[in-house]
Amino acid sequence: MHIVVVGVNHRSAPVEVRERLAFRQEDLPRAFSALREQAGLEEAAILSTCNRVEIYAGVPELDGAKDRLQRFLSEYSGLGADHLGQQLYHLTEPGSIRHLFSVASGLDSMVLGEAEILSQVKHAYEWAKGSGATGKVFNVLFQRALNTAKAVRTQTGISRGATSIGSVAIELAGKIFGDLSKATVLLVGAGKVGELTLGRLKDRGVREARIINRSIERAARLAADYQASAMGFDALPRQLVDADIVITSTSAPGYIMTRSDIAEAMRMRHQRPLCLVDLGVPRNIEPSAGGFDNVYVFNIDDLQGLVEHSHQERAQAITASQAIIDRKVELFLSWRREEAAPCVPS
Amino acid sequence: MVFLHMVCSLLSYGAFLVAFVAGVLFLVQDRQLKHKRMGLLFHRLPSLGALDRINFLAIGAGFALLSFGMALGLIGVRVWLGRWWMDDAKTYLAVILWFAYLGLWVMRLRATMRGRPVAFLSVLGFCLVLFTFIGASWLRPSAHPYL
Repeated sequence: MHIVVVGVNHRSAPVEVRERLAFRQEDLPRAFSALREQAGLEEAAILSTCNRVEIYAGVPELDGAKDRLQRFLSEYSGLGADHLGQQLYHLTEPGSIRHLFSVASGLDSMVLGEAEILSQVKHAYEWAKGSGATGKVFNVLFQRALNTAKAVRTQTGISRGATSIGSVAIELAGKIFGDLSKATVLLVGAGKVGELTLGRLKDRGVREARIINRSIERAARLAADYQASAMGFDALPRQLVDADIVITSTSAPGYIMTRSDIAEAMRMRHQRPLCLVDLGVPRNIEPSAGGFDNVYVFNIDDLQGLVEHSHQERAQAITASQAIIDRKVELFLSWRREEAAPCVPS
Repeated sequence: MVFLHMVCSLLSYGAFLVAFVAGVLFLVQDRQLKHKRMGLLFHRLPSLGALDRINFLAIGAGFALLSFGMALGLIGVRVWLGRWWMDDAKTYLAVILWFAYLGLWVMRLRATMRGRPVAFLSVLGFCLVLFTFIGASWLRPSAHPYL
């Protein structure tokens, strides 16, 4: 049996094509039956995420395997075979195995090293196994892929650091407070990045969210979306005493929080740490406030710099990750050779 | 009683060592955050909140153990020497240490100080612990040669 992969990803095909090819979980049993009957596959697994749709297939013969899989995808998606053929990639052993191991490790992801793909590969395998589409080879193949991905993540910096302004702000807040479920977050202004950051903090389970805006109606609308409380600008001094994380994203021409405002707030909050994320341009918070003990001010350039740093760190980990993947592929291939070797009676 | 006095004193030094380590890690992490750098240790160190809490708990535990150990020492001196005070360099330093950590613990408890200053003082405090533990014997012959 030969292991091949046929599919599209975010580099090879636009979203219009990927969404036509996408498989829902409930489509999979029918798809596996069709693959067995029409394409003659011995084993199969389908990985379908927002960035890729790939069929991993165990075929008895390589000849015509790509065409049969392409025909299957064309019929499934309703896309013309020629049009689809230009966007599909096709890999045979050992490239197909290396590709799966790289995908699971996040090396082929849009955001290098992202963690979500690992659970997506795991689900793809479990669903294929649940549909009876995997056998001995694919069981070992996917377990090795998951094992490789874990090794790559723990032994290299491929998944280290945050990769967006919002996630870097959350990482920094986490480094200051540890448990964000006890933190209160205050959003000042209703800029888009600020709102996204607030959303991410809410997802991380912050205890309470409050929104201050010049337009109380806009604040109230946002507050309804994020189960937060809305208030006007006059509440700022009081809220600065209560909040742990303050995100500002206003277009005010001057500072809305001066050094003396923050000094006063710190006195009243008994020096409890304060994380100030200033997303405003021009800046909303007087930078010298970051000089106070237990006050941490991050502006948009600081966050951008940290995102850049994370990208560099991840890029530096590619070589080490590939070395791990090569080793694991070689181990899998030697297992395959041992399995294929005829038994010699003793 | 002497044994218990020794054990309590050593355990208090151990707790102050924990506070010292938490303090150093806090200062490193604080510096990285203030300078907006994610160095090698950034992803490996606990949060500032966790380090501050460990520091506070270790100072409290160390202070309680030191107090108990010193009380046992005083009772021992009273029982065996018939007086309340032993004229010894280590005893004087231990009293200074006790007041230093009392001050630090009370300031942190009352939240007069938090975070970086407490971390810094717990590092300084441990220098005093080391001096009391090792250096005092150099000042003049001590009745605590083993400590």
